[in-house]
Amino acid sequence: MGYLNNSTITVDAILTKRGRELLARGRNEFNITQFALADDEIDYDLYNTEHPLGTAYYGSAIENMPVLEALPDETQMMKYKLVTLPKGTANIPVVSIGQSAISLENGQSYVIRPETVNFSGGNSRFGYTAILSDSDVGTISATRSAPNRSAIASAPQFIGDGEAAQSITVAGVEFEFVAKPQLLADATATILLIGNETGGRTTLTVTVKKVQVMTAAAISK
Amino acid sequence: MPIAGTYGYGGGPGGSGPAGSGGVGGANNFTPSVSRIRRTNNVATAQVQQLATQLADQIVREREIATIQARNGRVFTTFNPADDVLPNRVETVTRGLFSDGSGSMLSFFTSSTATTAQLSYFYELFDKDPDTVNNAAPMLSIAYGHFNGSGSTDTTGNLNNDTPSRAVYKQYAQTLLAPNDNKFTINGTDTDSIYALTFNRARFREKLDPGNFEINLSAPYISIIDDSSVSSATEGEAGKVYNLISGSIDGGTSIYNSADPTYYGLLYPQHGIAILNADAINSAGIFTPATGTSEGTPDNRALLHTALKSGSTNAPAGKTGGIQARSSEQVKSTYFFVRVKNAEYNYSNNPSFSSGSLGALRYATFVNDPQVYITSVGLYNDRGELLAVAKLSQPLLKAFTREALIKVKLDF
Repeated sequence: MGYLNNSTITVDAILTKRGRELLARGRNEFNITQFALADDEIDYDLYNTEHPLGTAYYGSAIENMPVLEALPDETQMMKYKLVTLPKGTANIPVVSIGQSAISLENGQSYVIRPETVNFSGGNSRFGYTAILSDSDVGTISATRSAPNRSAIASAPQFIGDGEAAQSITVAGVEFEFVAKPQLLADATATILLIGNETGGRTTLTVTVKKVQVMTAAAISK
Repeated sequence: MPIAGTYGYGGGPGGSGPAGSGGVGGANNFTPSVSRIRRTNNVATAQVQQLATQLADQIVREREIATIQARNGRVFTTFNPADDVLPNRVETVTRGLFSDGSGSMLSFFTSSTATTAQLSYFYELFDKDPDTVNNAAPMLSIAYGHFNGSGSTDTTGNLNNDTPSRAVYKQYAQTLLAPNDNKFTINGTDTDSIYALTFNRARFREKLDPGNFEINLSAPYISIIDDSSVSSATEGEAGKVYNLISGSIDGGTSIYNSADPTYYGLLYPQHGIAILNADAINSAGIFTPATGTSEGTPDNRALLHTALKSGSTNAPAGKTGGIQARSSEQVKSTYFFVRVKNAEYNYSNNPSFSSGSLGALRYATFVNDPQVYITSVGLYNDRGELLAVAKLSQPLLKAFTREALIKVKLDF
């Protein structure tokens, strides 16, 4: 006769930079109301469905793996969230915008209408978060808000120290990107779109062409 | 009226008595009708109850389905504040006060970089040699104080007793004693000559842990502990105060000659300061502090430094020696109970979980039996901002056949 496993997993949480900021600000702004789960460092390629010892060992390579410590940088944590879906689901909800790269001239705009495929009504309440990596390349705004306007997810995207100050985060169900003039060279930025309900994500690469300035000789011709 | 009488005696339509037994007040020719009516009523009531039950079950079922469906396609789950959150739990955390969490300090080094002016007031003691070891950290300082300024030289040249020992005594008296009290009183006797052991604030955090404090001096070898095991603290101007008496905490607290212990000083846990009566040390025969207007050779601080070192190296068998101390602090924590039901969180947005651009699951077996691994728990506010994050020590398997309960502790 053995003992039943009655253990509860206990883990220590650390505050993120945003959490510290809100805690320091006071005024009851630090208010945890919900949770999410993630499997950021798991590569399911390690799940071996041909393991010679059978099904109980399919995930042994993952289960025995030690996990890295938590980081206070919220942009580096909780990238790949677990999602609740009906049993028998064959396809994960995918955030789609139709293309992965666009090229624009100075002053041109591009409307982004993200969709969630494989799940009816996905992200319809809280919409999407769009993160423009570099505001020197253009501006981004939400042209249509989500029914629940309060949702702005943390930006789980590596932007880097230099670019972090220049990134723009907006939430909605439709966005417009407007290119800024590039005088020296073509400029490239990324727009990361994250589903605020399903957690899916996709990236759009935006290239803004250098402004072509005609010289006097060229005009005389 | 017979019907009314029947109802009156029979207990009403919902009564549970046998059919016909309620017709006491009615005529005989009414009895069959009354029975029939009651039976009909009972049947109708049962049918209504059955229908109501069915309807209620259906409503509950639909709500459950709606709840389950509402969870689908979602990555966030809202905490129920009543069931899932245990806020502001206060716990007292103690730990060894010295380097690497050690509860004992057995080596006592000073730094050659200390200036002459500093040394005339205090010695800073390290557990490793700061002149040769990079990560040597100061643990405590020792200072000698005298009410009249005895045992040190007047540094100003004014010859009006502006000596470091007088300044030290006044400083500690001002910090630890009541406004109208200017002398330390140990076991009922005022003392003019003291040693102050001041522990590094970062080391003792909120306070020293009473009951886990011991100073050993030699020679002859004496062991000093606080009396928190037998006496309550005195509440003074500087918070709680315990007596320092002869005893040991090695192998459990024991007080030497408990009926009449030797009193060596006072412990102020909240200030991280131990005051030793220099006269009591003198009486123990360990050393005699210098008096008068000279520093003495060695000076009074060096005498205690030597006695501490000797109290470590000359510890008898079964004794730890040196200084033993723990820090103590109250930590406020909030617990979040993350309950993951069997039907929840069985799929992942991890790119390696699917293949191709259409989000097809990576393995065919995942369609009916998906297996994901939880490594991180994120705590969010209503705006979806990640405020705190916890990592599991190992990936936790989640599938439709498994539920999980993860207790997340957030310290403030």
